[in-house]
Amino acid sequence: MALYEVKAEMTGSVWKIVTAAGETVAPGDAIMILESMKMEIPVIAEDGGTVQEILVEEGASVSEGQVVARLEA
Amino acid sequence: MSDTRPARPRSLEVALERYEQQRSAALAMGGAEKLARRKAAGVLNARERVDYICDQGTFIESGLLGTSASNPADRHRTPTDGKIVGFGKIDGREVAIGANDFTVMGASSSATNGRKLGHLKRVATQRGLPMVFLGESSGARMPDHMGARGMATLLGNDPTQYQRLRETPWVSATLGMSFGSSSWYAVLSDFNVMRKGSVLAVSSALLASMAVKEQVDPEELGGWRLHSEITGFADLVVDTDEQALDAVRKFLSYMPRHHREAPPVRPVPVGSGADMKNVLDVLPASRTQVYDVRKILRAIVDSDSLFELKPRFGKVAVTALARIDGKTVGLIANNPLFKGGALDTDACEKITSFLVLCDSFNIPIVMFVDTPGFVIGTDAERKRAPGKIMNWMNALQLVTVPKISIILRKTYGQAYLNMGGGRNSDEVAAWPTAEISFMDPQFGVRVVHGKQPGDAEYDGLRAEMDRDSEVWDAAAVYAVQSVIRPEQTRDYLVRTLEVHGMRMSNGVGQHLLRAWPTSY
Repeated sequence: MALYEVKAEMTGSVWKIVTAAGETVAPGDAIMILESMKMEIPVIAEDGGTVQEILVEEGASVSEGQVVARLEA
Repeated sequence: MSDTRPARPRSLEVALERYEQQRSAALAMGGAEKLARRKAAGVLNARERVDYICDQGTFIESGLLGTSASNPADRHRTPTDGKIVGFGKIDGREVAIGANDFTVMGASSSATNGRKLGHLKRVATQRGLPMVFLGESSGARMPDHMGARGMATLLGNDPTQYQRLRETPWVSATLGMSFGSSSWYAVLSDFNVMRKGSVLAVSSALLASMAVKEQVDPEELGGWRLHSEITGFADLVVDTDEQALDAVRKFLSYMPRHHREAPPVRPVPVGSGADMKNVLDVLPASRTQVYDVRKILRAIVDSDSLFELKPRFGKVAVTALARIDGKTVGLIANNPLFKGGALDTDACEKITSFLVLCDSFNIPIVMFVDTPGFVIGTDAERKRAPGKIMNWMNALQLVTVPKISIILRKTYGQAYLNMGGGRNSDEVAAWPTAEISFMDPQFGVRVVHGKQPGDAEYDGLRAEMDRDSEVWDAAAVYAVQSVIRPEQTRDYLVRTLEVHGMRMSNGVGQHLLRAWPTSY
């Protein structure tokens, strides 16, 4: 079990957070959806696992490469 | 019956004995101990690699008895001078192949092995042979290269050494520590596959720590993640030598032997195109939602023929070799799964370099378009977006192989041109779901009418702009030549590629991009 970071792949804003701290997600699941260029862009937890921390709120601006969540898998 | 042949003169016997001794010494490579260590580590040696990749019995070696010419003390311990070169067949086609023997002074570069590589390249270029480089090397041999005499005699004496005019495909495998020459050929190549655990860099971590006082981890300096995700110098990453050599063979199977012929034609596997009836299911219900365009590509091309290059670099762009109706095609697609399909600077570079590859080797290009435009903002500008967007346009407009563009959903702004819109392709087709405009209608209502969601007139103006973006107006003025149903796409491409075959030049383009840089 190791902690890993999930980063925003693109500058945009947080549209919807679809999980919460404590929940378990499967590899490849989306943990939140960003909005950028008018597209709904899922932020994927590649390795799945248990969500430890969501570091942003809905409506927040994020930059490309910014850490938006930490999971343990 | 007694032997009535005249006895061989003693000097001939001695000479033949000496020859066999020399051969054995050369074939022993770096010695049993070093070879055993490699075997224990699960890594092939240079001769095993050549044996694995060449059709059995076809390898003819050049320069077996070469040794160090610089340093008499090294003569006895530099069999083949550390690089095994020669010619062999891969899938029945002749190639020129150079395999670095790391067990011999780290396959370091020196005079004799430099001459061998030079000869290999000259023959390959003049006789139309693909070049295969199986790379791992500690770089320039020391102390041979030190000092003015070392440098003057060993380096800079071949004025065409690093010229890349794409007469024949160059394919590289990075199979260990690769510094100096081995790295140069990797980045000059059309395809480089990297085995995990290998390091590709200018110089070793040791030298870096001495020169710039940086304590470097070799993986950070030149490991597989860096090269597959950040630099793009690894087109593919594998776990074993065998997988790397299989990938070299696979890449070559899409290529012609040289640039004056069309790529080879293969049989069409049974069941190709069977998934076309389901292709519309890949698209999500909403135009703002994403999907993986590779599912569509896999349905369209001949079964199992999709070979993606640089899958982990510039992921918004998919660049893949494939076959349609048995013939090699180069596919470029926007992948909405990443960044909603918005094109970043890595995608620009990846696509530009793929255009150069396809055009240089007579491979027709098919573009699949679904992009909300280029990524804009300060980060993009710092990455020199305008320059990269224009490099891409320049390359696209220099292409002389057939270009076909199929608009799946959105195509906005400058990206409409970069993805082959208008006269930047030979044929433009579109699905009924295609939308063409300068920007997303939601931005457009604000920019043109000054209205935002929530304002009274917004909905009506938005509906008008949405209607204006539909593909029909482009088809009406022949900017889109064909509107096709999604499930007709494979058939459309089979016929259109057939129509656009370069009959008058035997399938060969004009190669205006042949001198384009290999990295940028």
